[in-house]
Amino acid sequence: MSYHGGGHRRKQYRGGDDYSGHDHRHETFETPEQKLRKSIINLGEVDPVQELSRLANDLRAANDAAIAAGGPAIPAITEGFRIGVTEQPFKIPYYATLLRLLHDPATDAEDNASTDGSPALGKQVLEDFWKGFQTFLDKLAWREIRFCIQFFAHCTMAGLVSSQTLFELLRSFTVVLQEFGVSHGRAMKAGLCAAEGLMIAGPIMLKSGTDVTEIITAIGDYSESVNSTKTLVQPVVKLYDQSPVIEHADELLDSALAALNALVASGFAQTVDSFAQPYADFSPFPSSPFELPSVLVPPEVIELDGLTTEAGEDAQVKKEEWPAYFVRLFDNDVTPDLTTPSGYAVKSAILDIIDVFEVNRKECARLLLEYPKWTLHGTFKPRPGAPEQEPVAAKNWQLENTIIELTLGSVFLLPESIHRSIYYIALITEICKLSPQTVGPAVGKSIRKLYGLLSDGLDVEVAHRFADWFSVHMSNFGFAWVWKEWVPDIQLSVRHPKRRFVRQALEYEIRLSYYDRILKTLPEAMQSPEAQCMPEETPGPEYDYDDPSKPYHDSAQSLLSLLRGRTKAEDVVAHYESLKNTISETAEVDVNVSTVVRSIAVQSLLHIGNRSFSHFLNAIERYLPLLRNIASSGGTANIDARMDILNAVASYWKRLKNMVVIVFDKLMQYQIVDPTDVVAWTFLHGKAPTGAVGDSTFDAFQWDVLKGALDKANGRVTIARKKVTALRKEADDTAAKAIATEGAAMDVDADAKPGELYAYSTADVMHAAESPQLTTALKAFATLTREQKAALSRTVDGFVDYLVAADKSNQKAGEVITEKEWHNRVNWNEEQWETWETWCWFRHFCRAYSPYLRNYTQSLEVASMSKVASSGPAVDLFKKTWNIATGQDV
Amino acid sequence: MAHVVTPLDQPSNYKDSQARLDRQKQNELLARSSTLYIGNLSFFTTEEQIYEIFSKCTSPEEGGGIKRIIMGLDRNTRTPCGFCFVEYYTHAEALACLRYVSGTKLDERIIRCDLDLGYREGRQFGRGKSGGQVRDEHRQDYDPGRGGWGAQAQRLEIERRREVEERYADAQEGPGAVAGGGGDWKEAGTADNPLKRARSPDDQGDSERAAPRARMDDDHARM
Repeated sequence: MSYHGGGHRRKQYRGGDDYSGHDHRHETFETPEQKLRKSIINLGEVDPVQELSRLANDLRAANDAAIAAGGPAIPAITEGFRIGVTEQPFKIPYYATLLRLLHDPATDAEDNASTDGSPALGKQVLEDFWKGFQTFLDKLAWREIRFCIQFFAHCTMAGLVSSQTLFELLRSFTVVLQEFGVSHGRAMKAGLCAAEGLMIAGPIMLKSGTDVTEIITAIGDYSESVNSTKTLVQPVVKLYDQSPVIEHADELLDSALAALNALVASGFAQTVDSFAQPYADFSPFPSSPFELPSVLVPPEVIELDGLTTEAGEDAQVKKEEWPAYFVRLFDNDVTPDLTTPSGYAVKSAILDIIDVFEVNRKECARLLLEYPKWTLHGTFKPRPGAPEQEPVAAKNWQLENTIIELTLGSVFLLPESIHRSIYYIALITEICKLSPQTVGPAVGKSIRKLYGLLSDGLDVEVAHRFADWFSVHMSNFGFAWVWKEWVPDIQLSVRHPKRRFVRQALEYEIRLSYYDRILKTLPEAMQSPEAQCMPEETPGPEYDYDDPSKPYHDSAQSLLSLLRGRTKAEDVVAHYESLKNTISETAEVDVNVSTVVRSIAVQSLLHIGNRSFSHFLNAIERYLPLLRNIASSGGTANIDARMDILNAVASYWKRLKNMVVIVFDKLMQYQIVDPTDVVAWTFLHGKAPTGAVGDSTFDAFQWDVLKGALDKANGRVTIARKKVTALRKEADDTAAKAIATEGAAMDVDADAKPGELYAYSTADVMHAAESPQLTTALKAFATLTREQKAALSRTVDGFVDYLVAADKSNQKAGEVITEKEWHNRVNWNEEQWETWETWCWFRHFCRAYSPYLRNYTQSLEVASMSKVASSGPAVDLFKKTWNIATGQDV
Repeated sequence: MAHVVTPLDQPSNYKDSQARLDRQKQNELLARSSTLYIGNLSFFTTEEQIYEIFSKCTSPEEGGGIKRIIMGLDRNTRTPCGFCFVEYYTHAEALACLRYVSGTKLDERIIRCDLDLGYREGRQFGRGKSGGQVRDEHRQDYDPGRGGWGAQAQRLEIERRREVEERYADAQEGPGAVAGGGGDWKEAGTADNPLKRARSPDDQGDSERAAPRARMDDDHARM
């Protein structure tokens, strides 16, 4: 990488911001259209209000110049608006104002405009903008649709759009809420479009006598219809409670509804305190407003590839969105309340910035910290050092706390965040880097609040992500956390969520760093082994046969030396076979010789590959024949053999549990074990490395293993589907080309080479008979969907067995879900906490894999539900959870 | 969504200076690449640490994951010299790293990610005159994570250093020195896949080692 040395080139790649593009360096020339577009996009870089009239004049002048040069600049101007509105939603009120200005005739050329008779520039732009909206609508580009509606609503307030036609537009979105079987994602987005449009334009609608309750009722009815679904994705769990409203989190659509109700109650008096209206001071718009044409929200298009499983089940996965609960970390005087009009306006605007600028987290961080510029005066406390200002009642919030609360809220959305959680984690890092003194305290307070919520039922998956964020964040800031304040919690039960969190967070920190480094960051009270905060010993391998006094030491050493000497695989296999005899001659009667030999071989293989991930890959790749021999045990597929392999791995890496997950992943990749084997292992043996007390308990480590296996099974189906689709398309294309060429060849076959003609006709014949590749791909697809179903089925079985099996009563499972027991949780012992955690993982499994479970509901129920006990509170909760996840009546 | 800000997953100026391909061809390959070059690593950073942070950009449900990690080594001392390659199964995962991981810290150093044309034999070794990376030939500053000026290092890192120095002493050169990481799922018992087939001693041996190599070549042919 020779350019590292050359100082003269260095600045070109430092940081992503000053990216200049190697191939574009000479393309700095901008066309007039590009300049025009850019001037609109950059509106407000200094002061939006000041810039507006100048920009309006510039645009008018540019348009006049363009007309003189041949054609108007309307398309370029509209594109600028379109980009501005959909990519910088915080500027929407200012774009509405700019458009209002463009409706006025030019001050110096009044005669000109009135004589040529063409409509005002603003009107032409609005008409053109509408066409763009129609395109977004046709594509169901929801984010863009929402921002356009906000824009139209502001334009309505500015008098540019007729309020009756805006109302009709909003109504066409509430129609979506009443569609039969509407997906939640679609309903939520349509509902938000209507709600936000009404929040912004409510005052003028009210004035014109429109009855807005229709819209509110439609949203309310829909929200109520999904109340039971909501209970499955609340970030703070109360297993006994059915209420859609919870204390520490707000659901997005419900919050919009609450804000709307508050607005209606006050006759939309709060709109002016919630949304910027830079157009408000303008004289009323004299001409007749633009009538928005009526629209229909097109139905969702699902591209069916017609691929089904052997049993005819629909194997296509339709990812479904769920109600979105945002965790609340601060009081209403610190951060806005999402359920109030002004709170909703601020918070949803920040959420939009976080979403839109995902492509560049550094710019996103900057824009978030600059956000107050676009809000109403007094929304946030002034920055330290800025001139004092009179606090605005019920506002004056803390910007940094609000941003961190919402970013973390986005990480903790269940079942999954919109973008990968690492995006939000990296975003928080950037925000901290920009303003450490103000953001640091907000992050610290958020951590303390979340830590506190661990005692009050913070969902286990949320806690998992909390630990993940915590460790990565600390890794970026010198692992500087004040652990001291959590020392008193060492007295809690070892399985209490707070203790689980500390242990997990430290384990994750160690993975990103190393044991001694992290140990050093802890106070003494937490360093001691009795505190059980850190892993007992330095993480590392544990070869059972190292000690000469241990049984089978000699046998293991003999195999190990062959592996170390890179002996050919077949010779090692021969030696492995002979070891069976050697050991069975000397072993005690009750020893399972096969298990012992397998454990020796697998551990020895891991031992020669224990120096690094790539050493491990090299070792198993070199000795795949040995592993295959062990897994198949002389020809017959043997589940015991595969469990022995997995057990040997878990035992070897018991002091470094993430290695267990990594090794399992590669054993599946090399097809030594199947995902279903790993799922089975999770429930049969996965408990051992977790140190659990109870028999039927499931924890975060088991979840990682389970998720690895299920994702592997699902990922294989995804690849197989893509392959089939691609091959089918290829075959169709070839066929079409062949037909076209044949047609062409008749006309001008003098030029065609005989070889080409031959090739095409062969392809044609192949297609008719289905190409062998396609046959193979279809066969693979059938095998892999079968495997997928087996893995899911084994998981459901596992949870049935742990929680509600007819033949194995689990008294605790019924106990911990009652309200009475929950309020008594300070007295819970290890087993009770473990059982509660098991319930939470079951819930997470159901919601996270719901799209897959829906495809196989029937056969999974036939296979597993028969094993469920007949009745009881645990059975009720189990079935209810299952029914919500699979979209059945609760 | 690229009119207002430049996305972080745009290709940068990074290139393999010894690649014998023209710029356009290289760009085409990069647009599909699932391999990352990672720079500015500490010499002490392990593959497991690298795996941990880069696993946060995987999408296993899409058939992705970390295929393999190739640690950059000093060609003389066979010790890590501050760079590595991370290879995913999909291009999208590599892009996610450019957006979310590049420019953040690993092992308390800000690391840099760039799309790479893909690993080729020999690229695991540094190209500097003294065996390490070229940048460390010319470096003027004191950097404890990259060997200081000379052999000094922080006290806490002495133990790590010992482990690091021994870890790759066995590193090989030549074809097959680097594992493949496991390929796509294959039907058991077909001609090109000996999975779970009843084995006879004479059809094993070197043919197994050839498999990952063939797959690698195939990767390059496609890229």
